[in-house]
Amino acid sequence: MTVKSFLNTVLLRCLALVALGVGWGTLFLQGRTDLSQLSYLGVFAGLIILGMVLEFFGHSRGDSLIFSVVLMIMCIGLVFVTRVDAELASRQLIWAAIGIVLYYGVVFGLKDYRRLGNYSFIWGLLALVLLIITLVFGVTTGGATRWLEFGGFTVQPEEMVKVCALLFLASYLNANRELLSIGNTQVGPFSLPGRQVIGPFLLLMALVMGFLAAQKSLGTAMVFFFLFVLLMYLVTGRKLYLVSSLPLAAICSGLGYLLFSHVRVRVDTWINPWPEATGGGFQISQSLFAISAGGLFGTGLGQGVAAYKVPVAETDFIFAVVAEETGFVGAMALIALFVILIVRCFIVSMRSVDRFGQILAGGIGILVAVETLVILAGVLKLFPLTGLVLPWVSYGGNSLILHLILLGLMTNMSNMSATVWPGVLVRGGEGA
Amino acid sequence: MSSDLGRAKNLAQAPLLRTTRQLAVILTLSFLFVSGGLVYWQIAKADDLLAHPSNVRLAIYSEGIQRGGIYDRNGKVLAISKVATDIDGTIKYERSYPYEDMCEPWLGFVSAKYGSTGLESIREKTLLGLTGGPWLDMLKREFSDHMKGYDVVLTVDAGLQKVAAEALKGKVGSAVVLDPKTGAVLALVSSPSFDPNSLEENWDGIITRENSPMVNHAFGLFPPGSVMKIMSSAALFSTEIDTGALYHCSGSTVVNGQTISEQNANGHGWVNYDLALAYSCNTYFAEKGLQAGQEALKRTTDDFGFGAQIPFDLPVNRSAIVRTAFPGDSMSDNLLASSYFGQGEVMVSSFHMALVVAAVANEGKMMSPYLVERVLGFNQMPIEVSEPKVWRQPLSPDQANKIKGAMIVAVKEGTAQNGRIPWVTVAAKTGSAEPGGATEAHAWYAAFAPAENPQVVVVVLVENGGSGGQTAAPIGKKIMEEALTKKGGGI
Repeated sequence: MTVKSFLNTVLLRCLALVALGVGWGTLFLQGRTDLSQLSYLGVFAGLIILGMVLEFFGHSRGDSLIFSVVLMIMCIGLVFVTRVDAELASRQLIWAAIGIVLYYGVVFGLKDYRRLGNYSFIWGLLALVLLIITLVFGVTTGGATRWLEFGGFTVQPEEMVKVCALLFLASYLNANRELLSIGNTQVGPFSLPGRQVIGPFLLLMALVMGFLAAQKSLGTAMVFFFLFVLLMYLVTGRKLYLVSSLPLAAICSGLGYLLFSHVRVRVDTWINPWPEATGGGFQISQSLFAISAGGLFGTGLGQGVAAYKVPVAETDFIFAVVAEETGFVGAMALIALFVILIVRCFIVSMRSVDRFGQILAGGIGILVAVETLVILAGVLKLFPLTGLVLPWVSYGGNSLILHLILLGLMTNMSNMSATVWPGVLVRGGEGA
Repeated sequence: MSSDLGRAKNLAQAPLLRTTRQLAVILTLSFLFVSGGLVYWQIAKADDLLAHPSNVRLAIYSEGIQRGGIYDRNGKVLAISKVATDIDGTIKYERSYPYEDMCEPWLGFVSAKYGSTGLESIREKTLLGLTGGPWLDMLKREFSDHMKGYDVVLTVDAGLQKVAAEALKGKVGSAVVLDPKTGAVLALVSSPSFDPNSLEENWDGIITRENSPMVNHAFGLFPPGSVMKIMSSAALFSTEIDTGALYHCSGSTVVNGQTISEQNANGHGWVNYDLALAYSCNTYFAEKGLQAGQEALKRTTDDFGFGAQIPFDLPVNRSAIVRTAFPGDSMSDNLLASSYFGQGEVMVSSFHMALVVAAVANEGKMMSPYLVERVLGFNQMPIEVSEPKVWRQPLSPDQANKIKGAMIVAVKEGTAQNGRIPWVTVAAKTGSAEPGGATEAHAWYAAFAPAENPQVVVVVLVENGGSGGQTAAPIGKKIMEEALTKKGGGI
């Protein structure tokens, strides 16, 4: 890391910490939180600063902007979780601290991420085992069985499944890319891959989505659907896969609508939430009231109504709180941070030294983009609402830690390509 | 060295680069689409959602805003918010209505407990200053700790409103006074009424009181009885029927086996159109109506705005000539004949009837009625001013003049003689509408004056008041005199 880029990194990360401090201070002056939280904040800030020192002396050469952007997103999240519930924020700060330690663990501890690509079927199996355990031993809350309880902690295995599924997909697609792209079986006018080739992919896709549907984690099932389809397209470049996923999506959502009453409620209140503004449409209409109340500049931090009026404001609807209190300007800024992050993920993918890394980085970019888009579109009534968290912003230790681990992989890959291909910049031109 | 490596690498990965770039673009565009949703809700739909009844924000915001006042056309206070400091020193505002029950229920009320109604509700955002102001005002609000709403000035004249309200005291019904040339509402009375100042204490009493004081009786639907003949006349004029010809009224006629008789069972003898309207001859309109047919009535009442939403500051029920209409349905002869003299299934509000009379007075042009004259910004400069607008033209000037002539005769020597004012020519029509059952008839009086240059339209409806000429006309006359005096004094 050059001194200049190090100074840039310091500037951006300190900016994020200052924003967290100012936001927290404002909430403190409003009496929404107390000084006992300062120690957690101190640990968090200390870890960030320690991380920067580590990056400098560890000669980290990858894209440091990715973590800076995520830190900004995370600080916004911490401020707004504090806004909604200060007690939850203390716990969130602990999760964040653990997540940051794990992040640096992956960045510096994982010698060569390429080894992860050798265990394709183990990852797939692990994903399924996690899902089966959840289904059998899981606790049901809010209509969905997605939690495991250990003592006082709850673990959400479906977050871990995201890592396993990504690693499976990346290694499997890497190994089978040629056959998947060209095909070895002629069906009518199409040359398709044979059963042995595409079988594992379809099987895992069906099982993952089936288990998630059985747990009634339909939002997560949808995210996986997009992830499987888009990643398949990224690797093979065949539009056939995209087109054939459309009837599949129609059948899946049709089945969901017929089988699950809460899907029907979600769809009906999506189409018209207003007559039921006090019933089934309560969540979404309160969310829209909050967002619309924000206007251009927002009501100001701590001045909105959404934080105590919108149900589960700290998780699914955190964006509505952000949009009310910081207005269009603030909400757009948050969206812009996500766009920067995702574009940087794709750039890491394009600069990657090997195809496995390329697919993995692209997959992480797709995953984060889809998760963010589905929940934002739900909160904005562009799409039926599903219970999903906004990565790094919503309250929830599982999601926070897991997404920081994925980010660690991303930085690790970026470091790798910067070390192996110094000076090579892929500017996106084919054969440039 | 490194460029060779780069080329080799790029070649090996070329197809992935293409799809990666495609996906980056598609996903970025998706974020753009989501941002579009943000623009839609935060900018385009913000006002609509703020006004939604399930949204608590307006009530929360309004606690800290000094609501704008509501004034009559001469600046008399109808509603005002005054500062009342709480025990703990926080500033609160108290809404008061100096004229008590005079303008209810249309003026409405604001209550933390029961929400807001009437004009207070419909103009909520104006009164709270949350919308409609110039940019500078909006900006000033952002940086001011004293939040104030906009003042609203009405077309109503408080003095005239008082006279009209007192004339109807103790009766159930409504009175509407309009300027026929502009559509400005000069007075609007619904009786019984309630005092909004003591609303929360008396809530249970008010909502259970007889004859629904919270319902605006001027906007409710009633059979029009003979005031319908104003519109029936227009229907006859629209056909080939010779309204100049003489007709012999023997006191009753038989339509399809059903006897239609005059109100006092006496025949009017030989009458022409003018006298038929002046004497309110039912058999004339029944027989001529049957000749003119259903289409003429339907077309004419449509022209007068039946079935349409009246463009007004407050919601008025839609008038109708039949209870339920299916396309292609035809009325029976009996129903058609009685519709022509205002019975049958015809239902109209007294407010709409005032517009009908105003169209006759204004050479056939029906103006859009309006109640809010202007809205004043913080420096008392108007930020919204109502302009008179033509809503429809149901009559030609000739047809209007013909009806006007007959209405003048009705006051001179017909059923509306109780509306006569010695110093001015009044044109009027009375009605006594049978509501069905053993109850008293609804008494109607619809008038305008001066006939030569109409300035004021007055419509009075006394529910179950009996004869229009006996009950409603004297009330209408009192209101008319006051209105014309005011007009002379420069309303």
